[in-house]
Amino acid sequence: MTTTTPSLAIKDTPHRAPWGRWGIKSAAFTYLIVLLLIPLSVIFQDGLKDGLVNLWGSISLPIAWAALRLTLWTSALMAVINAVMGTLTAYVLVRYSFPGKSFLNAIVDLPLAIPTLVTGVMLVVLYGPQSIIGGWFKDQLGWQIIFAPPGIILALLFVNFPFVVRAVQPVLESLDRESEEAAATLGAGSARIFWQVTLPALWSSIASGALLSFARAIGEFGAIVIVAGNIPFRSQTAAIYVFGEVESSNRQGASAMSIVMLSLAFVLVLFVDWLRKRGRKERTA
Amino acid sequence: MNTKFKTLFVIIAVSLLTACGSSNTPSGNAGAVTLTLAGYSTPAEAYAKIIPLFTAYWKAQKNQDVTFETSYAGSGAQSRAVIGGLDADVVALSLEGDVTNIAKADLIKRDWQAIAPNKGIVSTSIVAFAVRKGNPKNIHDWADLAQPGLEVLTPDPKTSGGAQWNILALYGAALRGKVTGVPANDETAATNFLVSVLKNVTALDKDARSSITNFETGNGDVAITYENEVLLGQQRGQDYEVIIPSSTIKIQTPVAVVDVVSDKHGTTEVADAFVKFLFTKDAQQIFAEYGYRSEDPDVAAATAGQFPAVTDLFTIDDVFGGWKEAKTKYFSDTGIYVQAISEAQK
Repeated sequence: MTTTTPSLAIKDTPHRAPWGRWGIKSAAFTYLIVLLLIPLSVIFQDGLKDGLVNLWGSISLPIAWAALRLTLWTSALMAVINAVMGTLTAYVLVRYSFPGKSFLNAIVDLPLAIPTLVTGVMLVVLYGPQSIIGGWFKDQLGWQIIFAPPGIILALLFVNFPFVVRAVQPVLESLDRESEEAAATLGAGSARIFWQVTLPALWSSIASGALLSFARAIGEFGAIVIVAGNIPFRSQTAAIYVFGEVESSNRQGASAMSIVMLSLAFVLVLFVDWLRKRGRKERTA
Repeated sequence: MNTKFKTLFVIIAVSLLTACGSSNTPSGNAGAVTLTLAGYSTPAEAYAKIIPLFTAYWKAQKNQDVTFETSYAGSGAQSRAVIGGLDADVVALSLEGDVTNIAKADLIKRDWQAIAPNKGIVSTSIVAFAVRKGNPKNIHDWADLAQPGLEVLTPDPKTSGGAQWNILALYGAALRGKVTGVPANDETAATNFLVSVLKNVTALDKDARSSITNFETGNGDVAITYENEVLLGQQRGQDYEVIIPSSTIKIQTPVAVVDVVSDKHGTTEVADAFVKFLFTKDAQQIFAEYGYRSEDPDVAAATAGQFPAVTDLFTIDDVFGGWKEAKTKYFSDTGIYVQAISEAQK
C-alpha cells in the first residue's frame, strides 16, 4: 500500500502498463471464476456424477422429455414473434416521432425490473378463465390461455420484450441513411426500401436479440410457475420440472435437465457472439 | 503509515465485533436463550400465538428469557435448509419424511418419535374440498370429482407435502371401497379413478398455499386441500365452503428437536420443553382455533362442534403401511401417481 497509486489513464507509461493490465485481467478472471465457472461446474459435476448413461436416463423419462419439448417450442415461437414485433417496435421508435415517444422508449425495459412472479400473477388476473378477456376466449373460441401453452408464450413475450428492441435500436440509429435515400431516388417504394435495403443491415442484430431472448426463455421460472398450471405432458416446462426434482430430493435428475438447458443456452450465446462479430464486420466493410 | 492503518483496522474490527456481540444478548440478561423454529407454511399464525404463552411459562418456571426466531416455508424446503446448515433448534414440518431426512443427515440423534408426546404428531387435519359458495357443482364426495368438465385444483406432489396427502386420501378412499363405482381393494380400479380425477386438474401449483390462493383468485370449481386451510380462509373472510368427503385421510404433522443443533447452542432443555408445551391443552386449543383437529381428548371434545365427524377416517399407517412405503410406491419416478398423471394426459 505504499507506491501503487491508481492511474487515471489507461494508456500508461510503458513500464507500468503490464502491472495495471495484469491487475485488471486477474480481477476480471477471478470474478468470472468465482461467480460463474465454479457454480456452473458444480451443476455439471452433479449431473454427470452417475455417468452419461444416467444423464440420458434422466432426460429420456417421458415427463422430462415432454417438459423439454414444451420449453423448446414455446421459447422458439416466442423468439420468432419477438423478432418480428421487436424489430417493428424498434423501427417505430427510431424512425418516427410522436408524442410520448420517450415515455414508450422507457417502458420497453420495465419487464426486466418487475419480479417475474408478479408478471405471472398479473397475467392470470388479466387472462385467467374467470377474467373478462380469458372468459371470452374460452366461451367464444374454446381457447384456454392461462394454464395452457398460450399463457406460457404470453409470459415469455412479456419478460423478454426488451431483447430484440434493444438489439436492433442502436444498429438502426447508426445506420447510414444515404443508401435508403439513394434507393428512393432510384424510384424504390418505401416497402421495397425496407425489405431490400434496411432489413438486410439488421438481420444479425435481430437474430442475436431473438436468440438471447430464446436462451433466457429456456430457464424462465417465476412467471411460468404461476401461469402454466404445471401439468406434466400438458403445461410443465423444463424449469418447473427441475424445481420438482429439487423439491423431491432428486438432485441428479434436476442437474441432468439443467445441463441440457445450460448447454443449449451456451451454444446459442456462442452463436449470438459469432453473429455480432459478423454484423460488426459487415457494417464496417 | 502502515501501523496507523493497522491500528485503525483493529479498532474498527473490535468495535464491529462488540456491536454484534451485544446485539445477541438483549438487555444484558446473561441467562437469555434464543430458539430457532423452522416450520412449514400453514401453521405460522398458530405458532405466533403459542410462542408468547411459552415464553411466559418458561419465565415463570425457570426465570429465563427465551426469544424466538421463526422461519416458515414449504416443508421440503425447510428440511433441506436445516440439512444445509440453517441452525434450527426445533422443526415443525408437514411430512414425517422431511423430519426423517434431517435425522438421516445425522442432525437428530435421538429417537424423536419416542421423546415427544403422541409420537411427535403435534397437529392433525384432514383432506377436504373447498367449493364455491352454494356448492353450484354439487360436490359431496370423491366420486363427484371425476365428472367430466369439472375444474379441480390440487398442488403438485413433486413439490408439496400437502399434495401427497391429497393423492393418498383419494387413493385410500378408493381402496377402502368408499368411492361410488370403485370396488374395494382393487388397485387397478383405484388407479383408473385417480386418472379420471387428474384429467380434471387444471393447475398443479407448487404448494398448498399457492393452490388455495389460485382458487381464491377465482380459478377452479373445487380445490383439494387441508381442512385447516379452508377454515383459515373462511376466518379471513373468504366465502367458499368446506366439503368433507365420507372417507378421508388424517393429516399428521410432526415436530422434532434438532438435537445436534440444540446441543451446540446449549438449548436442548428449553427446546424439549417447547415441544412438550405444544401438546398442552393451552397450545392445542390455539391449534384448534386455527382449524387443526386436536389429538387431545378434552380439546377435541370441546371443539367437536367446529369439526364435523368423518364417517371413515384412516391414517397413512392403516392403508399404506407408513410414509416410507407410500413414498416409493406412489411418488417415485415409476410410482402410481407418475403413471396416473401420464395416463391422464394421453
